[in-house]
Amino acid sequence: MTDTHAIAAKPDLQVILSSLLRADFLVLVKNRRALLLGAMLPLLFLVTTNSQKANGRLGGSVFIVGLCITIGLLSTSIGGYALTVARDREKGVFQRLRVTPAPTWTIMVSRLAIQVVANLIIALAVLVVGSAIHHLSLNAGQYALVLLVSILGGAVFLSIAQALVGLLKSASTVDAASRIVLIALLLSGLLGASGALGSTWESIAKWTPVGPVTTLFSTVLNTAAWSSYDTMSLLACGGYIAVFTGVGIRWFQWDAR
Amino acid sequence: MSELEESEPSVILDVSNLSVAYGAKKAVDSISLQIYRGEIFGLLGPNGAGKTSALSAIEGLLKPRSGRVLLDGIDIQRDPAHAKARMGVQLQATSFQSELTVRQIVRLYAGLYGVSLSAREISDRLGPIGLDSEAGKPFKQLSGGQQQRFALLIAVIHEPELLLLDEPTAGLDPQSRRQLWARIEHLRQEGGSILLTTHSMEEAQAVCDRVAIIDHGKLLTTETPQNLIAKHRDDPRVREVAHGDVTLEDVFIGMTGSEIRD
Repeated sequence: MTDTHAIAAKPDLQVILSSLLRADFLVLVKNRRALLLGAMLPLLFLVTTNSQKANGRLGGSVFIVGLCITIGLLSTSIGGYALTVARDREKGVFQRLRVTPAPTWTIMVSRLAIQVVANLIIALAVLVVGSAIHHLSLNAGQYALVLLVSILGGAVFLSIAQALVGLLKSASTVDAASRIVLIALLLSGLLGASGALGSTWESIAKWTPVGPVTTLFSTVLNTAAWSSYDTMSLLACGGYIAVFTGVGIRWFQWDAR
Repeated sequence: MSELEESEPSVILDVSNLSVAYGAKKAVDSISLQIYRGEIFGLLGPNGAGKTSALSAIEGLLKPRSGRVLLDGIDIQRDPAHAKARMGVQLQATSFQSELTVRQIVRLYAGLYGVSLSAREISDRLGPIGLDSEAGKPFKQLSGGQQQRFALLIAVIHEPELLLLDEPTAGLDPQSRRQLWARIEHLRQEGGSILLTTHSMEEAQAVCDRVAIIDHGKLLTTETPQNLIAKHRDDPRVREVAHGDVTLEDVFIGMTGSEIRD
């Protein structure tokens, strides 16, 4: 403590954000094993569905690739983001950051931004492998559109993850709840695709958070004409993001006590 | 203290009528206190007395139900970023991202305070606390004493005017405790002001210029340890618990009671 403390000024927001982003990116790199495991589930699904029978049952190659990207986004967002936030909150990491001049929104924005990067890496990996296995030939525009839908789909699942950590305090409860939500959404996606439980359940499954995201992936991978069904899917995604984000922010507490 | 008494003391932290509540339960009940520049101020109280809640409100972690906290004239509620840039904080349980190394944590927190440090400067800061060789290790691999020293380094990375320490010596062995007090004293000599909470009355008596005793959320008294002892030396509640010379601990127990708190 020298004379310099007399002129302590508010730090620049850009410096704060870049410091947080760098640290969160380092954490992502160090957790690359978790990221790889997150990609394993959709990749495994891609391989096991590479047969004519499975293709027919699940609505074709394009739908399967879209579904697998959705599964990848689902597992990294709900299995990754929610757990990391709950764990860090319980350990007091957020409280330590909150006593610095960093505005609280920058702490969350940095976390979310890095999670979006993780989502894009998973989506790209699944897309590349899926295209090779299912013999899809995609142009640069389709790649770009898939990444755009990945950001949207990731936002849907991140908002669900945010709602989970908003409504539940303890890290172990978030862990248990996120597994249940993950499995429920995975099943809804698969059942929606296969119609195994009949047309009523198929219709319901199409409008769970997984359904609209898978629909949008199919549309951009097929380069099909934009339909009213796609518009409804887009609106559904927006609705899910708004509702779950609202819940997640309204009830989120920085301290687990 | 003599310097403080001789000249007009300049206030660095002004807390007025601060109240903190959790639902219907009032944890801090309209406390007011002032911390002067260059002083070490101890906030003492039994478990659950409201020390950490008061400190959390001063740190900007909790929104007070009422009252005002001014740090060198800056309202922590109205301009938290500006006020936080002038204070350093060591929480009761310090935790950093477990995946980050000591060096990476220093870089992160320096950045959050707008301080740019080169690799050499980071080494220069870690060296005096014996952590230069541990710079590549994750924080969780440090020993308890090392973690405490590191947490204090992070708290003063931006050379704050006011340092807030919540039970800084809890769980430390005597050697680490001595070292920590020496560092705190050094920070004061460099012009910093320190507000701390502690359960060690012996340490508070030895180190603090002034102490405040808080219980059930209310501030019971604010005095120098010597004056506090002198004032309450003949209090029957104090005499009842004193063995020989009256100490700050005797006064503390006399004022707050002998029953064990949660």
